[in-house]
Amino acid sequence: MGDPAFWILQTLNAVQFSLLLFLMSVGLTVIFGLLHFVNLAHGSLYMMGAFVGVSIATTTGSYWIAFALAPVVVMAIGAALYLGLIRRQRRSSPMNQVLITFGLVFIFLDVARIFWGDIALGLEVPAALAGSVHILSVDYPAYRLFTIGLGLIVLIALTYVLDGTGIGAMIRASVENETMAAAIGINAERLFFVIFCIGCALAGLAGVVAAPIFSAATGMGIAMLVPTLIVVVIGGLGSLKGAIAGAFTVGFVETFGAAIIPDFASVLVYVLLAAILIFRPSGLIPARG
Amino acid sequence: MYRQTLFRTGITTLCLAGLAIYAAVGGYFASEIVLEIAILAIMAISLDIVAGFGGMHSLFQAALMGVAAYGYGAATVLFDVTPALAVPAALLLATAFGAAVGFITARTSGIFFIMATLAFGQLAYNLIYHTRGLGGDDGLSGIPRLDLTMIGIKLDKALPFSVFALLLVLAVYAIAAGVMRSGFGRMLVGVHSNQARLAALGVNVRGTKTGAFAISSALAGVAGILAAQHTQFVSPELLAWTSSGEVLIVVILGGLATLAGPLVGAICFVLVKHEVSKLTSHWPMIVGIVLIAAVLAGGRGILGEIERRLAAQQRPRRVEALKEVRNHA
Repeated sequence: MGDPAFWILQTLNAVQFSLLLFLMSVGLTVIFGLLHFVNLAHGSLYMMGAFVGVSIATTTGSYWIAFALAPVVVMAIGAALYLGLIRRQRRSSPMNQVLITFGLVFIFLDVARIFWGDIALGLEVPAALAGSVHILSVDYPAYRLFTIGLGLIVLIALTYVLDGTGIGAMIRASVENETMAAAIGINAERLFFVIFCIGCALAGLAGVVAAPIFSAATGMGIAMLVPTLIVVVIGGLGSLKGAIAGAFTVGFVETFGAAIIPDFASVLVYVLLAAILIFRPSGLIPARG
Repeated sequence: MYRQTLFRTGITTLCLAGLAIYAAVGGYFASEIVLEIAILAIMAISLDIVAGFGGMHSLFQAALMGVAAYGYGAATVLFDVTPALAVPAALLLATAFGAAVGFITARTSGIFFIMATLAFGQLAYNLIYHTRGLGGDDGLSGIPRLDLTMIGIKLDKALPFSVFALLLVLAVYAIAAGVMRSGFGRMLVGVHSNQARLAALGVNVRGTKTGAFAISSALAGVAGILAAQHTQFVSPELLAWTSSGEVLIVVILGGLATLAGPLVGAICFVLVKHEVSKLTSHWPMIVGIVLIAAVLAGGRGILGEIERRLAAQQRPRRVEALKEVRNHA
């Protein structure tokens, strides 16, 4: 425990897990902020990303084709969901949204069982990232470093798009006041559709990136959904900075909790969530001040 | 506002009598099905109080059930408490847990409320899962059933136990209906439909919500103790949040805020589940599609839809009668 290498390793693991959580929760939180829609099926899209990734990688023999295509496939699934079901339910009560997307969770679970079976499917780490890298005096798997880098790139790109571009300004305006944004000529409907698709693509990306680490299994969607929702609520619904803050809080608490008090690490996260809900019900960094 | 209409009384009587006959003639397997229905029905009725009447769609009902089941199991197995004493203790434990969560979450609403209840449910799940003294993920086994041999009932047989479970369903239904017809029940519905107005009238909104949770938790506790005695075994799986979701589905399918609806929902859910699993293994897919269809169809559920149609049939007649009265005057 006193060994500094142990703590460096744990920190790297925590950063990696936090960035995976960030990839998952940023889509969910922005969708909520813009569309006021709670999508419990977000975890299922993550699972689809992993399974589709495994299938593409085994047929083509290349991880990188899977890496590029799986998010696109998941985005197409998300687009179909949006056009077929979610667009009509945008104005319904939170409970109806929860129930409908809960129904989708069951359907996706069964779809995955039909196509890929109940047994977890592994995915080989691509050859270029197979070894480990000597960093900060520890040996760390190259693939995990790659996921850290990828997460950081997505984080920086999204921050730039939201804070520094016209589209970002339109998104922020629509989150702040949808009616006013529509009145000054922002096509909110189209914006929502694009945002929803990007959110789904990010969930698919998280899935295909996670597949070589955790392997693809039917339970992974539900297993990932709860931490993602916790990140979103801790961070504050609808804000990018909230998703970053929430993801790193949960990622670090869970990883270090598991290292220090293995039995009660998962309890810690829920205690944290309960505390946030009691003392700061709108989250750490809410979208609307 | 809740009304114990003749229709609802009839449906409830019919359901319970039908289940009792089914258990009596169907042998061991039928008794097991009836027990499964009874436990789910008690859970669904208890959830209907907070979700249907109070408008608080909580996602930790299974955790309440699990806490009571573990309370009963731990008291009898680990501390050798007699079942007759362990039952009230377990009920008290579930009530205290539910009331505390209700008090804490009373100020949140919408998705935050759903998340908060999910979090507290998961908290209980993880605590029990990781507590070695409670058996961890292996659970606790060897839990005794209530001893009613004094009054000549042997609960160790499948048939008497399932009839006993049906009597509990009736008792839970009667308590829930009584509460919802009382002043407290009216207040809870008022808080649901307009919280600000009720607060302005001097109603203690937080207290009302907490009270509803306490009653709902006690009734869920009954289901938990029944479940623990049924299999004589408890495991953390009892507390899984997906089970809470399942109970919510049953209430929605049966009809929110009807009390008889959750009972009808539980019967349909369990029977269809057993029939469907004989034919295909795609039960989750069917649940998902039916749930989405039910919500898209208006979310009134089976009983709510029947009552709406009956009311629509009666309305023209009432209008006619009213016209007649006016003509005379």
